[in-house]
Amino acid sequence: MEIETEKEMEIETEKGEPMAEHVLPETFRDLEPFAGWALATEKERNQKRLASTMAEIQSFYDAILPRMEAVIAYLNQFPLDAMPADAQRLLSLTFSLAEVSTAVELFKQPGVIDGYDATRFVPVHK
Amino acid sequence: MAAVAKEHGSATGNGKRWHDQHPELGTAPVPIEPYISQEYFNLERERIFRKVWLNVGREEEIPQPGNYLVKDLPVCGASILLVRGKDGRLRAFHNVCSHRSNKLVWDQRGSCQMFACKFHGWTYGLNGQLTFVPDEESFFDLKKGELGLTPVAADVWEGFIFINLDPQPQESLKEYLGEMGESLQGYPFAEYSATCYRWTTELHANWKILKDAFQEAYHVAFLHKRSIPDSFTGKNNPFSHGLDYRLYPRHRKMAVYGNMEHQPTPVEKMAFQFGSLVIRNDFSLSNLPPGVNPTKDPSWALDLNVIFPNFFVDVSEGTYFTYNMWPLAVDRTLWEVRTYYPQPKTAGQRFSQEYSKVIFRDVIMEDCSTLEQTQSVLASGAKSHFVLQDQEILIRHDHRVHEDFVGFYR
Repeated sequence: MEIETEKEMEIETEKGEPMAEHVLPETFRDLEPFAGWALATEKERNQKRLASTMAEIQSFYDAILPRMEAVIAYLNQFPLDAMPADAQRLLSLTFSLAEVSTAVELFKQPGVIDGYDATRFVPVHK
Repeated sequence: MAAVAKEHGSATGNGKRWHDQHPELGTAPVPIEPYISQEYFNLERERIFRKVWLNVGREEEIPQPGNYLVKDLPVCGASILLVRGKDGRLRAFHNVCSHRSNKLVWDQRGSCQMFACKFHGWTYGLNGQLTFVPDEESFFDLKKGELGLTPVAADVWEGFIFINLDPQPQESLKEYLGEMGESLQGYPFAEYSATCYRWTTELHANWKILKDAFQEAYHVAFLHKRSIPDSFTGKNNPFSHGLDYRLYPRHRKMAVYGNMEHQPTPVEKMAFQFGSLVIRNDFSLSNLPPGVNPTKDPSWALDLNVIFPNFFVDVSEGTYFTYNMWPLAVDRTLWEVRTYYPQPKTAGQRFSQEYSKVIFRDVIMEDCSTLEQTQSVLASGAKSHFVLQDQEILIRHDHRVHEDFVGFYR
């Protein structure tokens, strides 16, 4: 356990702060630097997208896209309503990929070009 | 009344026009006044919103006895309480206490055994009957049996709850929906309604500006050139001509073209691999009922179904979405947007739905800007009319139906 803790200390977030502990399933530790995108609600994910630079968005997109087949195959083994916490975080990372995909693939900027104020379009769902 | 003209379904255009089928609509520009006139707005309140059937929710929102839902209708200065009774029946009441008219239920939804007014504790059963009045002896000739909540007509079509503020509705919900209702018979609303994502926004625009924008596809190639560059337009159909249009006495529908050669983005491709999307990638003919994609054109994306006055039920395969446009003032509208999907069984399907709702939402972000920009200059007097082309026939028909109800120009 102690050795693992040392490894954990080496992992850094996007902002360069050391992570206290692992938050994603072991197979996907390479995505830990992007754990800040593991947000529970659409509103939070959209806010993070709009508060990020394109470089930050692009690096997250580039990191997770090639891992998606493996991520979904891994997550599909759990019932949706009974996922371990680390798998749940991984799932919300995929939701953030969906969230940023339009920024990367369509608009080439964080927000919708000539778009409506996103804070005024209020999700009633999570 | 429904006009069927399969030869007009060609996306390539054949020189014929949809307006030829509806000479009664004319081809003249339509007036802007209904979008800016307070007098017109007042008439809409009295002659439309107080008279016709209005969609206020879905049955899944109040499945169990005691479940209730509050729907405020600011346009009519009303609040409606929808409740599932102990007998399983759905009832609607004005959300107003019989004592001194306090709003009875203040939250949006919940579950309870009875409703107690916060003001003086008057209490009502789930069936609307007044059951308890504190200090009853101090009232004069109080007839509790006559002081229940004021009932509102309510009925259900395909799981959609409608109410009618007219104390004596002119016709049943089934009659009101007519051929439009029949055309959607057999669509798997129940299966597809397991998951619902909802947004609301208050727009600075007349409610008909919203309606107009979502009952034509002419704008897609321009306003949405970045977000959906080739989904609803293609080499053979650069201006997103409709596959089919049907006009009913009050309602109307359009079958929207989908480009079979649409090139999905990397994430979209992934989402499709794991589930289904608003933007169809699988164009194999489906088992959807005859009234959906009525010409059974393989290049079909979705049907816009516009139910008068303010309800859109736009159906595709594997998903549908709805809009409710609620007027707040002549230049303000509360817009409710919902997308519905089957219950996701796997993480992959859930991811697919997430992508679907993000692209859907971002496309709408493009629409919303235009709606407010339009309204911001409407009252300038620069223009008195909108110029409509053949593919904007649903807007023209809506003007006609509005005038039938409002009678502003009669």
